[in-house]
Amino acid sequence: MAGRAGLRAGRGAARTQSVAVRASPRHRTRVREQEPVVFASGSGLGKENKGGSSTPLRHRHNTLSELDNATPRLMLKRIIQNQPQVSPLALQTVQLEEREDAQPEPPSQRTSSTVELQLPVLAAEDTSVTAFHVTRKRKKLSVSEFERAADKRLPQNQGFLPFSFYRSLRMSIGSVMAPDTVEKRGLHRRPQNRKAIDIAAFEGGVEQNMLQIKAQDYLVDLQTSSMTGTTTIRTDAEVVLNNTELFAEPQFHEQNFLTVEPQLSDSKTSAQRSNSSHPAHGEARLEGLVSGVSTDERRTQRFSEKDLTDREHVDGITQKTPAKQGEEEQDHSQQNDPMEQFSEPEEMVGTTEHHADTEYSEHSEKKLSRKAKSQLTAAQDAGVEMEVTPSEGGGVAEGTELQDSPRAAGSLGRHSPASYSLEKSGAKPLKEAVEQTGEIEHRTITGELDAAEEESTDNESEIEDHESEDISMKTPMFVRAADNRPHPVLLPPHPVKSAAPELPPQPVQAKPVPKSTRAAQRKRREPEIASRLIKQIFSHYVKMPVTRDAYKIVEKCSERYFKQISSDLEAYSQHAGRKTVEMADMELLMRRQGLVTDKIPLHVLVERHLPLEYRKLLIPIAVSGNKVILYK
Amino acid sequence: GMRRTAPRSTLRKIIKKHKPHLRLAANTDLLVHLSFLLFLHRLAEEARTNAFENKSKVIKPEHTIAAAKLRGCGWQSTGKCFVL
Repeated sequence: MAGRAGLRAGRGAARTQSVAVRASPRHRTRVREQEPVVFASGSGLGKENKGGSSTPLRHRHNTLSELDNATPRLMLKRIIQNQPQVSPLALQTVQLEEREDAQPEPPSQRTSSTVELQLPVLAAEDTSVTAFHVTRKRKKLSVSEFERAADKRLPQNQGFLPFSFYRSLRMSIGSVMAPDTVEKRGLHRRPQNRKAIDIAAFEGGVEQNMLQIKAQDYLVDLQTSSMTGTTTIRTDAEVVLNNTELFAEPQFHEQNFLTVEPQLSDSKTSAQRSNSSHPAHGEARLEGLVSGVSTDERRTQRFSEKDLTDREHVDGITQKTPAKQGEEEQDHSQQNDPMEQFSEPEEMVGTTEHHADTEYSEHSEKKLSRKAKSQLTAAQDAGVEMEVTPSEGGGVAEGTELQDSPRAAGSLGRHSPASYSLEKSGAKPLKEAVEQTGEIEHRTITGELDAAEEESTDNESEIEDHESEDISMKTPMFVRAADNRPHPVLLPPHPVKSAAPELPPQPVQAKPVPKSTRAAQRKRREPEIASRLIKQIFSHYVKMPVTRDAYKIVEKCSERYFKQISSDLEAYSQHAGRKTVEMADMELLMRRQGLVTDKIPLHVLVERHLPLEYRKLLIPIAVSGNKVILYK
Repeated sequence: GMRRTAPRSTLRKIIKKHKPHLRLAANTDLLVHLSFLLFLHRLAEEARTNAFENKSKVIKPEHTIAAAKLRGCGWQSTGKCFVL
């Protein structure tokens, strides 16, 4: 007792006593050994460094264990060492009790507390099985213990959730759960350990659901086919679906990242039929061109896309099959299921595929096997696909084009700007004009259009007649260059046309590097003011929210403006007999524009609107003090 | 305003694109930038006025088109197509 008291006092006094000093290293070692538990102890020992070698001190541990036990912290550690399988909850309560008891109590009562500690600990051990949430501190819980507890809970939870859910959980989480059982379980909200479902029953349920889905699908297909007059789509889709995923997904990725023009073209086509109304300028022309091209490639591409998304969708469907059927599938099923079980991107993806699910329901079984993987990929894709396929799209009529039209018809603005910008970033190098800020799709599409047009003009140095062709040409060129895989969707619906005009412009450009990416070529060919800058300046001046279409117009105006002033400057310099534009020419230009007047000299404007460094360059007067320094 | 630096090289490239034979003196591109800023400024003012007249709180494309026409950018009145 006295020794313990002394020891405690020593500890409390920061180990001033020899005994305390002797105990401290041991204490430290113990602390180190049981690091996760140490933090819980609020004893007066404070934080002791976890140093020292454990092995030589272990003997001392045993001998002085009694002394150490006096400390609640050490007692706790000892308990943990001795009974690793004690439930943390119970132990925590015990620890709390111990701490509470130990700290305020005088040392004399320590022994009793330690003894008492044993009893509750033992009791806790018995109840460890029932402890469900294991805290992170309890790293020493055995897997067997966990499994036992899990098995006990299985009968309770069995049959609560649909089979698909069980299956998915087990597949996706089961393997992961096994190693880190204790900690992970604590984190999971639901008891996810369920017995293996009767596979036969599950399959039966799935098939039933699929049959129902098929029944509905046929109805939908009939409608779609009647409206679109294309019955081959389904077969193609099925064919594509039967293909391995390897290509579908990467294609999908590619599609997402390279859908600068395709989206544009798709938007054009979709605009024809869907509700999207693009105030873009050259759309009418582009649409005509786009529509003229065969849509087979696009369809196949869509199918590949569909395949990818379909898997995800199918997964969603299968999950839902027992619970919700048919009706919800097309539009809401994916939304509901993914939300419940998966990240939101998947949900978006699923919703986008609502039209395709019917056909692909039959592949659900295959998909299930790859569900985990597809989910992961879907999550990745969904982030990108979200914008690509805004929900519902143009309508069931466009069964085949739903995928594309939603992307194109994104003017409806269903995508998340961020994700879209992410998608755009892939195409960013292609076009400067593409706006990557959190712009909605509509604007980006218009931006694409603008960039495409600019590019086209730059290439052929002609006016709009060739722009459309160039636009279509550019995008397939770039697409092909970036991705060699067949991406019919990415290519605008006139790949044939693009193939021919591709070759001549390249040599004409006289760019020595044929291997350079299309983006680099494009940039070199068409220098244009960064749309970002234009937006920034314009919005700053206008002090009001501006629609993306309006920005497009501003960009066009800027383009025209530069053309005009370049002509003007040329005229001025020629008039002055020079071949170089000088400041005088510039001032004359601004005077003609009405910016520079007798009352507003040029310098005033310079000072008003240009930053200091530029002012210094333009005005030969230093801004420092009263000194006048001529820069020139 | 919180504007970044002027895209001097881009300006030069653009003018080069339009008039390859034309050269620019030392800091003339800055004045080109200045004129461009003022051009956008006027366009913005005009568009804002149009929006106010339409009792709109957002600048819409039609406002901008009207402003551009007024300013002589040469917007065609036929739909969205415009001819330079």
